Order: sequence, then structure tokens, then C-alpha cells
Amino acid sequence: MNIISFLTSYHGYLTIGVCLFILGCICMMWRKNAIGILLGIELILNAAGINFVAFSRFRTGAIDGQLATLFVIIIAAAEAAVALAIILRFYRLKETIDSDQANLMRN
Amino acid sequence: MAETAYFAHSLQTWLGGGPLWIWGAVSAVVVIFGLALPFGGLATYAERKIAADIQDRVGPNRVGPFGILQFLADAVKMLAKEDFIPRGGDHFLFNIAPVFVVVGACATFAVLPLSKYLLGADLNIGVLYVLAISTLVSPGLLLGSWASENKWSLLGGLRAAAQIVSYEIPVALCILPIILISGTLQIGTIVELQGWNLALEGAKSPHFWNLFHNPFTLVSGFILFIAGLAETNRIPFDLPEAESELVSGFNTEFSGMRFGLFALGEFCEVFVMCAMVTALYLGGWHIPFLDIESFGVTLPTLLVALIQLTMFMIKTLLLVFVVMWLRWTLPRLRVDQLMSLCWKGLVPICLFNVLGTAVWLWVFHGRSLAQLIFQGGGH
Amino acid sequence: MSSGSQAILFAFQLMTLMSAVLVAFHPNILYASVALLFTFLGVACMFIFIGADFLAGAQVIVYVGGITILILFAIMLTQWMYKATLRDVRTKILLPVVACGLLVTPILLKTTRLIADLGPLGTAETMTAFSFSPKTQVIGQALLTSYVLPFEAVTILLLGALVGAVWLARPQ
Repeated sequence: MNIISFLTSYHGYLTIGVCLFILGCICMMWRKNAIGILLGIELILNAAGINFVAFSRFRTGAIDGQLATLFVIIIAAAEAAVALAIILRFYRLKETIDSDQANLMRN
Repeated sequence: MAETAYFAHSLQTWLGGGPLWIWGAVSAVVVIFGLALPFGGLATYAERKIAADIQDRVGPNRVGPFGILQFLADAVKMLAKEDFIPRGGDHFLFNIAPVFVVVGACATFAVLPLSKYLLGADLNIGVLYVLAISTLVSPGLLLGSWASENKWSLLGGLRAAAQIVSYEIPVALCILPIILISGTLQIGTIVELQGWNLALEGAKSPHFWNLFHNPFTLVSGFILFIAGLAETNRIPFDLPEAESELVSGFNTEFSGMRFGLFALGEFCEVFVMCAMVTALYLGGWHIPFLDIESFGVTLPTLLVALIQLTMFMIKTLLLVFVVMWLRWTLPRLRVDQLMSLCWKGLVPICLFNVLGTAVWLWVFHGRSLAQLIFQGGGH
Repeated sequence: MSSGSQAILFAFQLMTLMSAVLVAFHPNILYASVALLFTFLGVACMFIFIGADFLAGAQVIVYVGGITILILFAIMLTQWMYKATLRDVRTKILLPVVACGLLVTPILLKTTRLIADLGPLGTAETMTAFSFSPKTQVIGQALLTSYVLPFEAVTILLLGALVGAVWLARPQ
């Protein structure tokens, strides 16, 4: 079973979901920029979406997985809008969006 | 029956045998290089001639008969220009920005209903596909304006992206009544349902053009046209690339063929918007008050396809002419007027139209004005 | 699946993975956002090949046409035009990678080794008949019958998010 037929099968979709999830986690942990952290969150949500749709197609054959992914997409849009509004507010306060600078409540 | 609606299948039938994927590639080449690109070029010529006519002058008349080869001369000029990137500009983003615009404009040609037998791909989600692919244009504008390392470009790009994203909402809301009426997202089916064969009774009966289906769709059709103008950055929504305000806005620093690609993308998008209004509201390829398919004489499909193609082109090019006419007639809106028109004007009207269409369909059991008049009342 | 479509799907999956790597590791935040755009497109193509046509359209409209534009706006409003401020990565990569590896290796092993004990995949008829049929009508009906509560709840969520975002980002 070569890599093409593996990746285009059920297990391949789940593996891609896992890889996107790892990359999203690393992105969230590694980037200092607040928007960079948001990029990681979006990757994680996409990975969850791929998993849901793969389960819907290959396990149950019902529509529930696709509906779950639809709701994930909608909620991700709402959350991205609010997160970016918060980032803009923070930029106005501190003139930077470095997440290391978000330390007003420290000590 | 849906199978033979594809361009590739039709070519395979008319031009004899061969594997299907070759005809698929041929149809893609024909549509892009025979329709999209020549339209983009000729549209620049047509715009200059129409502008000249409105402004009481002559316009291009040197290159070729009546100046019709002017667009080729322009293309040669653009290709011969120096290919430079502004100092400090971002190489990768500067190169990739026109690609987004052209892809976003040309990829939608695949689902345009040129004729019953000349559809590239009658996707089940045809309308959604057009909406989705046309959103690819806005990242291109934003990245291009950023990569230009120029304050005016950045302002123009931000305004352009905000305008495009805002006006996608009236576009989607104006497409909703059509989906309510037709019950499908497939563009080919939507156009077929707008015929004139009123001899058919019941749910299969076509209901004439969607524009005249009920008063709400009449308003929706015009709003779709207006919002489409705003989507493609045409006057009166031209501020992002205004020549007098922003030094040509986001495409200031693009010269030569890169600018040519932006202009090409914009004209192709205008064509797609007009084609969408034609297909969804003006009956697509149908000839008014005539139904070729049920003449009593079975015409060869090639002839039918050509007649339908001609009709579609006439309607679409008429709308493109109106778009160009508006450019040289109306002043442009300020950016705050533009935004308040969208959010405070068009969106409420569109929501009301969706509600009104739904109520109409419920009260009259899905029958249109034409059906009510010509098929007798009584429900 | 024919080998032609398998090759195309593989190409899109490769594009998705490479773009995701760029999102995670590229020092320039703007390039990372463009890579995120390509990741979204790749995921939409993967949805198409798995029979989720409506979802692919929704993914492109919401993610590419909405969220990517929002992210690009935010980057352009909060960064000056000096490229130096676009570099934003930490210096130590070891801890995140090790942590993620420890968390995820069991999942990866189970996923790739799970050929034998995956459970029933459904009968062949239900798989092929349903899998590539148009889903828009099914999704629409489900949204208004079995899923009406999440549907309405999400409209309230969107209203709250809209009002909240406008209020948070208001000019002083």
C-alpha cells in the first residue's frame, strides 16, 4: 500500500487531521504574535472538521458529521471576529500585539 | 439528460469519439482562451469606444478596422514594459496578487450556462461555487496593496477588500429568492425552469423569467446588479481604484502585464456577474415567448446550442454595456456612502425581498405572475 | 476511486500539509496567513473528494472569503510597514514539539495501525449511494428538523459575536 493510496483512504484522512492538529498546536505554542496564535486555532478547527467529515463518510454514512463541521465553521468565524476585535483593542492599549506583553495583571 | 449538458460531452458527440478527458481539456481551453481572455481584451476596447461615444469623441480608430485590434496593441505594450517591483516591496506577494484576481474571475467560467449543451460543469452547488470562487479576489487585492509598499495603495486595498466583503451579503441575499423559487442550486436547472412552455402543468411548468416571477424578485434583480457592480469595483463603487482620488488605488505600483492581469480579472468578473444576473433572473438562454425545444420540428442539438448561446450572449453583453454606460454617466460614491448604502440600504431591502418571496410562494403555491395570468387563477 | 482522482486528491492533501507547515513555522506572519489561505483551500478540496459538496462551498466562503480577510486586515492594522516587526517566533522550538509529540504519538499510532480493528464501515450500497449525492437538501432539512436547536443557538451566538466585535473595536 503506497503512500498515495494510504493518504486518500479513510486512515489517510484521519492522519491528515492529526497532522494538522499537531501543526496547529505547535503554531499556538511557538508564535508570540497574538494573530499567530489565532492561526493555530484555525488550523486546529480545520483538523477537527476533517475528522468529522471523514467519520461521516466512512463510518456512519449519515449527515451528522457534515452538520457538525458546518457548525464548527460558523463558530470559528464568530470566534475569529471577536478575537481580532480583542487584538485590536489590545493594540490600542499597548501599541504591540506581542502576547508576551500582555502582562498587566502580573504580580 | 444531465450528462449531455456538459460541454465536454457535447463536443464528444459533435466532433466524434475520443476519450472524454481530452474533450474536457479542449472545452476548458476553448472557454478560457476563446471566451474569457478575448472578452477581457475586447471589453477594454469596447469601454473606450463607449466612453468616446458618451463623451462625444471618436475613441481608438487606428489599429485595425474601427480600432478593434487596439487591445492587442495594448497587450504588446504591456508585455514590453519593464518588470519592476517597488523598493522594499514584497516579491512573493507582489507576484501572487494578480494570480488570485485572475483565478477568482476565470474559474467561475466553468459553471456559466452558455447553453443547455454548453455548460462546463453543471455542479449541484453551482451558485455556491460561483459565490465561493469570487471571494478569492479579495485576498489578492489586499496582498497586492500591501506588497506595493505605498500608503495610497494600502488605503485603496483596504477599502476594496472591505467593499467586496460587505457587498457579498446583498449578492447572496438576492440569490436566495431564486433558490427559493427554483428549489435547487444547480444553475442549469434554474435556467431551464425559466422557459415558456406553459403547456406543461403543475410543478414542472416553467414560470418565465425569474425577474417577473413576483414583485420581490423584480427588486432583487436590480439589487443583484447593483451589488455586482460593487463587487467588481465598477463605478459608482469605484473608490478603491479611483483615478482622481487615490492615484489608481491598489494597483498604483503595478505596471505592465501585472496591471493588465488586474484589468483582465476585473472585466472577466464583470462578465461573470452579468452572466449570473442573466442566468438567474433574465432567463439565461431562453428566447422570450418562444420555446425552441417544442416546435414540432426537432432541430439538431448543435443548432439549438448555437441559438441558445447567441441569446445568452446577447443578454449578457447588453448588461455589460449597461455596466460600461454607468461608468461614464454616474459619479462615484464616497466610501462612507458606499458602506452605509450596503448595510443600511441594500441588506434590509434584500432581507425583505427574501421574506416577501417566501410569503408569495406560500400564498400562491409556488406559481409565478406569468403562471397566474396565463394558466388561470384558482389554487 | 480512479487513480487519476486519487493523484489529484493526493496533490491537494500535500498542498494542505505543506501550507500548514508554513503556517506553523514561517517567521513572517503575513506569509503564514497566506499559507493558511492555501490550507483552507486544500481542506475544501478534501471535502469535495469525500462527498461534502455544500461544506466545501461553505468552507471557502467563510474561511477564505471571511476569516482570511479578517486576519489580513488585523495584520495590516497592527503592524507598521517595517518588516522587522513581522518576525515573531520564539527562540526555543524544542519544548512545543516535544509536548505535541508526546500528546499525539499514541493517536497517530492508533490511527495508522488501525487496519484490523476499525469496526463496520457500513454496507456497500449505503456508502456509494449516499456518499456522492448532493448534500444541500439533506443538510437543509436536517438543520430545520433534527438540528433546529443548534441552528437557532448559533444564530444567537453570531448576533452576540457581531455586536461584541463591533463594540470591542469601536473608535474611542
